[in-house]
Amino acid sequence: MANITCTDIVKAYGAHPVIEGLQLDIPDHEFVVFLGPSGCGKSTMLRMIAGLEEVTGGRIAIGGTDVTDLPPGERGVAMVFQSYALYPHMSVRDNITFGLRRQGASRAEIEPRLTQVAELLGLEKFLDRRPRNLSGGQQQRVAMARAMIKTPQVFLFDEPLSNLDAKLREKLRTEIRKIHMQLKTTTIFVTHDQLEAMTIADRIVLMRDGKIEQMGSPDEIFERPASRFVADFIGTPAMNFVHAEIVAGDRLTAHGGGMTLHLSPQAFTTLKPGQRVELGLRPARMDLCEPGAENALSGKVVLVENMGAEGQVITEVAGQEISFVTQAFRSLSPGDSVCFAISPDHIHAFDPETGDSLRQE
Amino acid sequence: MTRKRFVTLTLVPAIGLLATLALVSIAGAVWFAVMNRTLRSPDYDFVGAYNFLRLLRDRRFFNALEISAVWEAVTVIGTLALAVVLAVLIFETVKKPLTRNLICFAFLVPVLLPRVAAAFIWRFLYSPSLGVINYLCGLVGIGPVEFLADPSLALISVAVVDIWQWGLFFTVILLKLMETLPRDPIEAAMLDNARTWEIHAYVTLPMLKGPLISLALVKAVESLRSFDLIFVMTGGGPGTATETLDLYAYQMGINMGGRISYASAMSLLLLVVTTVAFTIIWKAGKKWAS
Amino acid sequence: MGKLISATLTRAVLALLIVLALGPILWTVLGAFKELRDIVTPVPKLVFTPTLDNFATILRNPTIRDGLLHSVIVVSAAVLIGAVLGIPAAHTLARHARKWGDDVQFFVLSLRFMPPVAIAIPFIVIYLDLGIYDTLFGLVLVYLIVTVSTVIWLAVPAFERVPRDIEEAAAMEGCGPAEIFWRFSLPVAAPSLFGALVFTFVLVWNELLLALTLAAQNATLPVVAASITSLGKEVPWGVINAATVLLVLPPLVFIGLLMGLLNTMVRSGPK
Repeated sequence: MANITCTDIVKAYGAHPVIEGLQLDIPDHEFVVFLGPSGCGKSTMLRMIAGLEEVTGGRIAIGGTDVTDLPPGERGVAMVFQSYALYPHMSVRDNITFGLRRQGASRAEIEPRLTQVAELLGLEKFLDRRPRNLSGGQQQRVAMARAMIKTPQVFLFDEPLSNLDAKLREKLRTEIRKIHMQLKTTTIFVTHDQLEAMTIADRIVLMRDGKIEQMGSPDEIFERPASRFVADFIGTPAMNFVHAEIVAGDRLTAHGGGMTLHLSPQAFTTLKPGQRVELGLRPARMDLCEPGAENALSGKVVLVENMGAEGQVITEVAGQEISFVTQAFRSLSPGDSVCFAISPDHIHAFDPETGDSLRQE
Repeated sequence: MTRKRFVTLTLVPAIGLLATLALVSIAGAVWFAVMNRTLRSPDYDFVGAYNFLRLLRDRRFFNALEISAVWEAVTVIGTLALAVVLAVLIFETVKKPLTRNLICFAFLVPVLLPRVAAAFIWRFLYSPSLGVINYLCGLVGIGPVEFLADPSLALISVAVVDIWQWGLFFTVILLKLMETLPRDPIEAAMLDNARTWEIHAYVTLPMLKGPLISLALVKAVESLRSFDLIFVMTGGGPGTATETLDLYAYQMGINMGGRISYASAMSLLLLVVTTVAFTIIWKAGKKWAS
Repeated sequence: MGKLISATLTRAVLALLIVLALGPILWTVLGAFKELRDIVTPVPKLVFTPTLDNFATILRNPTIRDGLLHSVIVVSAAVLIGAVLGIPAAHTLARHARKWGDDVQFFVLSLRFMPPVAIAIPFIVIYLDLGIYDTLFGLVLVYLIVTVSTVIWLAVPAFERVPRDIEEAAAMEGCGPAEIFWRFSLPVAAPSLFGALVFTFVLVWNELLLALTLAAQNATLPVVAASITSLGKEVPWGVINAATVLLVLPPLVFIGLLMGLLNTMVRSGPK
């Protein structure tokens, strides 16, 4: 097991840079998720750590050893691919044990380890089958078993669940998390699914255009997004954004889009009257309220979306659509007037020009 | 083993051998084309452009050029036309996969035949006195037709054999390609009340534009290798009615007199023309198809 | 009623098509079992007493027997060497060549544009000068142009169809490029590669012009068959038919394989 250090990583295809000067430190035992929209460089980064892509510049170290110039097989890492990449001409057993057999491990050494991983992943019954006779979920488990049996220092997962249906995806996600709690191997997991990232990660590395946009625990990313991009990318339903201006008064207040909202003075110490801001209001942080409550907004219901336990209510507030989430959605129907509010602590404010968060604490 | 060594070890022998053999034949052709070498004597002298200048005054050469061009046009167009018609016909009328596969198997057989064998089979069928085709012609009151001995019919009769071999083969390819096409646009056209032939003319065949161009090119290259078929069926005759360039070059260089240098000049011209033409068509076709 | 008529009509048309495709061949097969007097009839005969004389004649004929033997030796040697040289090269072109790979592939393809007569004429002189005219070695050498280029041409797409992930997974387990090729790409691509070899085999088995020019006593079966016409005084149609059947048999054995190759090629998108 090992920590991973990436220093000044640059990757360019010809004259076109994909990743520019990326710094990253992953401590031992951590489960890190690379998250971002497609084309942000997250898979490229993972493949460079694996050794499948050459870096254009910078160094990569695993467990204190510089591996930048080592071939993939000598880095002590194992990888699970999106397409599973099982060897079609070998049985499940041979797929899993290939790496060990190749290194010349003896039968006596391999058998107990095979039994162990097969048991852990529930593959005992399938060992003599060919991969093509397995379901997608079973194939993914074989791929994981193949990675685990080598007891690598680092696990790499490249969007391993995106070819599975929603239900199986959830199940395997939980399994991967459980296995990590047991083995504690340093893991990097790439995904474009923010919900998957939130549920599985110790730490999320959110990437955009080859740069790290924000790095932090799922809570930090959700509650303290460093930029408008992060705030918009994380959370379902997506955040509401309102252009506003700070107004003079004894409390920190923003006015815009027909709304007047109090902000937390502890969080935003630098805001001055007259400053333009973009406010971020999470639908999940808002709920119905009595008229006249603090930060109450009143609007007309446009649409109610039933999500089971709760519902998303889309309203029109002074000509702008604002949505919020409530459990009491069943009493609402389009055309109703509603009042809903958000606590000052949960309001985000971003610089309208740069998109950076204006939060100070 | 490093990547670089692996690349070198795998590529160099194969590409090296091909390059050597190609270079030897081209350099050889150039060398002999400017000499006066014959098969009879091993001595030869430099004669410059003499062979090429003589070609320009050789009527038989221009006749061969014309026959080659006609041969290319007839076989390429005939093959594709037959393939398109038959593929659409089978696609529309045969829905059972088993029957379709049986037809495909039957249609694959002719192209697998050695050209020599195909040539014999059809010479037998075309035979004026004992051929089945002339018997059938006789039944409807025509005949006997000298398919291979009549100068106006010989080239077409040989081309029929070529189209029989390749047209049926391309039918199978086209049919398989049509099966892989997405159903949505076809169904959309059906909802618009398009007639069957309209669906194929405006929807399926345009979707297959790229493959059709590739097939035309493959056939054009293949038609250049008509030597075997023509050689066995007519030997270039009657007269020079079916004498294509490669047949004439063969007759000049090997069969009659062995005028190697003259034949070299001819095959060099053939080589330059086809290579230039196909390189241009290939690159343009790639751009056009994509 | 109209439906019934059109259904019958389509069936008739399809039957006619199959007769057109197979009829000529079947007629030849029939002819191979006929005596000459059953062939030379004004009305084609479907019922006759079959005879094996024609086959006996060709199998007893030393020229034809030698031609068959030469064909087997030359074709299998050329295909085998073509496979050994061409398949690894194709893998490298499909996987390790980025910028110049396309140019090499185009060069290989351009060899297929080359008119065979442009190879044959210089080669006959060079072979005469080198003393390898009319040898099996010489034939194999010239056929290598055909086999190596055809194998590369068909094997590159076969290797491109091998999922890249599988090769990367093998690399992750420490395999070098040669081991990845031998233990993973080759077995995974094997079915398509086999089809490519069969296609190459058929090409050289059927070849006439090069063998006709570059060999005399040591010619292959197509050359011998092409010269049968002058075996006796009369045109020996029965014997010709029997020789044709002999020539046709090997390629036809592989028809199923070719069908499979066609299916995978079409499904993965034509080039």
